[in-house]
Amino acid sequence: MNKPIFEIRQGPEGEVLMSGRLDATQCDAALQFLNTLALPRLIDLAQLEYIASAGLRVILLTQKRCKAAGTCVKLINVTAPVYDVFHYAGFDQILDISRGG
Amino acid sequence: MNERSTSVLSDPAQLPVLTRFLQEFWSANGLPAAEALKFELALEEVFMNVVMHGSRASQPRVEVRLAASDADITLVVEDEGPAFDPLSVPPPESAASLEQRPVGGLGVFLVRQMMDTVEYQRLTCRNQLRMTRRIHP
Repeated sequence: MNKPIFEIRQGPEGEVLMSGRLDATQCDAALQFLNTLALPRLIDLAQLEYIASAGLRVILLTQKRCKAAGTCVKLINVTAPVYDVFHYAGFDQILDISRGG
Repeated sequence: MNERSTSVLSDPAQLPVLTRFLQEFWSANGLPAAEALKFELALEEVFMNVVMHGSRASQPRVEVRLAASDADITLVVEDEGPAFDPLSVPPPESAASLEQRPVGGLGVFLVRQMMDTVEYQRLTCRNQLRMTRRIHP
């Protein structure tokens, strides 16, 4: 049961791709990457297998930054276990989230 | 009842060690994969709380125990820090707007959402948090 480490990068159309596990040991790197982008619009979480509250903080800080600039981040292809965490935290009420197929 | 325990330094670098400990327990006992992420999240949230707010003594340790029966899975985390009941922290305001939503304080709230029971106990000089989830209701 070896889980992949976390990876974050930009896709061919400017979308942000996250994969693996966004836990407390990876959140600083994730936030640092997102802060290098002017205003991320789309984050594809199809390959994200795990998120903890430290990861939610990264998403929330990014959304707050975008909202302050008049835009918003959309989370797409969110897997069921990750969606559950967003839902339990009430983030499905304040973020634009669409589940994966 | 199958049980295993481990002990690590109260250091963020030990989080992957604890995650591996939990995953190996899951594999060894053939536990439902769908339950694993809930326990990984609970373990991370509680452990990181201890790391950030627990003992300032030199080289404090955190003990973790897992137990599985046909009916439920239990995770116990003990630390040597000053008495602190994380369950006494009020839950975040879930109806708050994006602008008002605080960026922290979600960890224990998530644990309470994921587990069926969460109990705090102050032992002689240790904090103990016991989390249980039924697997065959």
